[in-house]
This record gives sequence, structure tokens and C-alpha cells, in this order.
Amino acid sequence: MNIHTPISETQEERLQSVLRKLTVAWTEFEGRLEATPLIRKLNRGHLTLEDYRAFLINLRQQVVEGACWISRAASNISEDYFDLRSTLMQHAKTEHRDYRMLEDNYVEAGGRLEDIRGAKKNIGSEALSSWMYHQASKPDPFALIGAMWIIEGLGAQKASDWGRAVKAQLKLPESAVGFLLYHGEHDEDHMEEFQAMLAMMPLDDDLEERIVTAARVTGRLYALQIEEIDLA
Amino acid sequence: MDQIRPAYITATGAFLPGDPVSSSDMEDVLGCVAGKPSALGRRALRWNGIETRHYALNPDGSTVHSNASLCASAVEQALEKASINKQSVSHLATATTQGDLIVPGHAAQVQAELDMGPLEIASFQSVCGSALMAAKSSWQAVRTGEANTSIAAASEFSSRWFRPGFFEGTPLVDEKGRVRLEAEFLRWTLSDGGGAIVVQDKPSTRDTSLRIDWIDIVSLAHQFDPCMWAGATPDNRHDLTQSWSFQGPSAAHQMGAIALLQDFTLLKTIIRAWVGAYLKKVDEGRIKPDAIDHLLLHYSAKSLREEIIRLLEDTGGMIDEARWFNNLARVGNTGSASIWVMLNELMETGRVSPGQTILAVVPESGRGLVGFMQMTAVSPQGEH
Repeated sequence: MNIHTPISETQEERLQSVLRKLTVAWTEFEGRLEATPLIRKLNRGHLTLEDYRAFLINLRQQVVEGACWISRAASNISEDYFDLRSTLMQHAKTEHRDYRMLEDNYVEAGGRLEDIRGAKKNIGSEALSSWMYHQASKPDPFALIGAMWIIEGLGAQKASDWGRAVKAQLKLPESAVGFLLYHGEHDEDHMEEFQAMLAMMPLDDDLEERIVTAARVTGRLYALQIEEIDLA
Repeated sequence: MDQIRPAYITATGAFLPGDPVSSSDMEDVLGCVAGKPSALGRRALRWNGIETRHYALNPDGSTVHSNASLCASAVEQALEKASINKQSVSHLATATTQGDLIVPGHAAQVQAELDMGPLEIASFQSVCGSALMAAKSSWQAVRTGEANTSIAAASEFSSRWFRPGFFEGTPLVDEKGRVRLEAEFLRWTLSDGGGAIVVQDKPSTRDTSLRIDWIDIVSLAHQFDPCMWAGATPDNRHDLTQSWSFQGPSAAHQMGAIALLQDFTLLKTIIRAWVGAYLKKVDEGRIKPDAIDHLLLHYSAKSLREEIIRLLEDTGGMIDEARWFNNLARVGNTGSASIWVMLNELMETGRVSPGQTILAVVPESGRGLVGFMQMTAVSPQGEH
């Protein structure tokens, strides 16, 4: 992707430019994700209960960190961007219990609580988490919005379809796929929320480039996390 | 000749068989599966927005056409418009989804139907995007000096594939006689026709020509399973060792592996991938939305339009809707032929003036592909 297109004159053009590059980053990520062994298996109707449980275990280790890195990012936003700090804090609060849904789903899907709690991050989750904290620890870590674009995009675009497919293929009760179904329903105002957050930032060429790079790196590491899930 | 030179579309042709068929008359021509009117047909029509279309079949299943003759008729029209005799054509590239024969390729049948040659041929078989594969072949042949006059032509005789016999006696029809959505949507969407362009090394001396600026085709088949296909059941489509020819034709038919099918869940993802590929072209400066005077977008569902427009507006990729030209609702979705049927009608309206830019966008759900072709109108006998 060429991130050095001519400088936009107006704020509207700037927003369009960032959203365009983020949309390209998202679709490239989505295509990569579709080609991972786990998602291929799910799409082809071949997912097993063991695969689904492995998926939940691996997701949990990443999701448990989500609210933490968003909180750290919020704490590094300077007073000049107070509204953005508030938004991030709200965001962290909304999501900080999400990992427990994954634990509940895991138990409903026949797993043991201590297994999902005690599992280690796979190397993709390690890389993703380390990257997030590194970004969040910088002063005014605006670029992280690119990472959020990818992670939240999963909720808006993929979670519902995945949840329904898992439920149908494995004949599981709703209580075992709640995390995926819940995120599919609640992450739909994606675009508007991001436009609002982007509008709070001092967007220029440099920040635009950093946001898009953060989205691309996050997508790559997220796909690695999914690739690293051991399948039955 | 070693130098690259410009190549021009000097004429277009389109052939739509018979009279337009209204939505209420469709099953009179195609026939009713299991003897019952379709339950999903209306929904499919709302989705695709098509009001009339053309079929090369007669209601009794007979026909005077073949896929090759539909293509040849469009070529003849284009040649006549360009005042070119068949002897001066030295290259013919064709596109189709399903030829009349399994072997050999469509171009051989079209050439024979046209009774012209000897000449070089190229057969492109894919779905809608095959039109631009053939166009690229013609463009390359002319711009490299391999040919001075080439024809790129595309055609579909889809209705054959929607006769009840393709579905009855297979798991694609349930015990109540209802056809699965994967098969039914396409039955209510695709129809018959042919289209052609003449590509030459010089602009027309009489009419506005279109210089081909570039043709880019982006395939994402490495990331997606088949989304629109024939030759496998929905469950087996990713395992090519289970495809129809391994089963034998009778067994394959009984499994429902012969009909043309579409996966709607996967389609949602592929639509996003098309938009991503388009926006990447915009971002790279290859496509400049404000500089496009006429957009020809081959879309299969009118209902997708609004969602895509909103995304394009948010991302600075929108081409003003007043510049979109489309005849899908009236002439139907003729697959690979659609883009030439559209271009032919646009040229006939006289709305294209020298210096204007036309962008053709041809997405293909097949296994995730999208093609782009940019053209610039030039005055008779020379560059604008």
C-alpha cells in the first residue's frame, strides 16, 4: 500500500484518506484470515469441538489483555486530548470483563475452567500483546486506533457469522457461543465510532502513516495468532 | 515490431436473443422445478433488481442458438459497425462461463460459427471477469504489434443450466420441491446474451474510439474457496478430488454437483475484498474517482449498491452517481457478456465525447476476482 499519497487539503479528505487506507488494511487482513487453517476448517463445515475449545483458549489469552492495553493507552493520552482519553477509558470499561464470557463459553462447551485460565499465550498472541503494550506505552499513542480498527472490525464483520457457524456445526447452545454472538451484535457502529475518534486526533501525514502501519502490523500478528492454534 | 503502441476499441456489438422476458414469465421459459413455481424467486428478484432479461431458449426447451452463435452474432454486429471484413481479423479472444462443449475451448466454436480464419485464438473460461481476461489478450496482441485487428468477445447461454433437469432428483431440491438458495438465486439472476469489442492499432476514421489505457485484474483465489461454481457439491467444493468428473456424470448429477451454485456467506466477505481492491487502486492513484466520466460497474445485486456507496463516500472512493451507467435492470445479467452489452449501449447513447474517461469494473465472485479497465475516448482518426 502506498501511504505517501498527496497531502489532503481538508479535514474531510484527511478522514477519507485514513479510512480508505484502513479499509484496504482490513480487507487484506480478512483475506489472510480466511486462509488460516482454523477459519478454513470453520468455513468448510469441518470444525470439531476440540478446535472450538482451542479457539476459545487462545482468544481468551489475548482478550484478557485488551482492556489493559487500552487503559494503558488512555493513561498516556495528554490532557490536550481529554475527550479521546475519556473515550478510551469508556472503551476499556465496556470490554474489561469480556474474557470471562470466553471462560463461560469454554465451560459450556465442555471444557474445564482451570484449563482455559491456565493456558499460555501462543507465539502469535505473545507477539500481538507485546506489540500492543509497546504502542500503548508511548506518549499520545494515537496510532493504536489502527490496531483497534482491526480488532473491532472482527466484532463488526466476522463474529456473528463465526458464532452462527460454530453453533450450527457443533450443535452447541447459545451459552457456548455467547462471546462471538454478543460481539457481532454490539460492534456494528464501527465506522461512526472510528470517524468520531479520528476526528479528535491531530491527523497529519505522519500520524496517518503510523495509524495505518499499526493496523497492518496488528492484522498480521492477529492472523499469526489464529495460525498458531493447534487443530484436532 | 518491438515497440508498444496504443490500441483502440473501434467498435462494439451486443446480441440479446428474442424479446425481453418479464419476471412473471421467467418460469414459462425456464420451466418449474418439481412442477411448482419457485418460492424464492421473488426474493431473488428484489435482491438483484432485474426487471426484464433475454433467453435464447424457447418455452418448450428448443432453441435456434448456441453459446457460440450468441457470441458470433455480437461479433458480426461489431465488425459491421467498424466496417471491417472478417479477413482482416487476425486474433480472436473469447470469454464465457460455460461453453457449449466441455472441450475444446469457446473461441474455436465461435471462430467456426463466424466462418473466419485461419487466425490466432484464445479461450478464457472463468465467470464474469473472463471478459476482461479476453480484452487484455486482445489489447496485448495489438499493442505489441502481434495483431492489427483483434476481437474480444464474451457470451453466456445460462438458461440451459436452469432447466428443471439440472436440479430435480438431486439434494438441491427438498421434499417439498423447493430449490436451495445456493442454486435458486442464480436461476433468477443470470440470462443469455453476447457482447464484443473490436480492438485495433488505429482509431476509427468515422466514430469515437476508446483508447485502452490499462486493464488490471486482481485474483484472490489463494484466500477463498469457490464462491460461485459448478462441478462440485457445496460440501465438497474445496476438495477437487471429489469434483464431478471423479464421480462420473450420472453420480455427480445425483449429488447435485452439476448445477451452478453460489455461497452467500462467503459472498459477503468477497464483496468486501472487491471494495478493498478498488480502494487500493484509488489509494495508489491508479483510479482517480473525480476523473472518471462514465462508470460501468457490473454488479449482480442492486441491493448491495447502497451499502457500497456509503463505504465509498466515507473513504473518498466514490464516483458521482450521476456518472454511473447501467442497463442491468432491463437487459439482465449476462455474466461475462454484461460489460460489453453495457459499453455498447453507452456508446450508442452518444453521451461519450472525446477526452472523456470510462472505467469498467467487473467483479467475479467465482473465487474472488475483480477486473478494472480504463478507457479514454478519442475523436475519429486521431488522438484527442
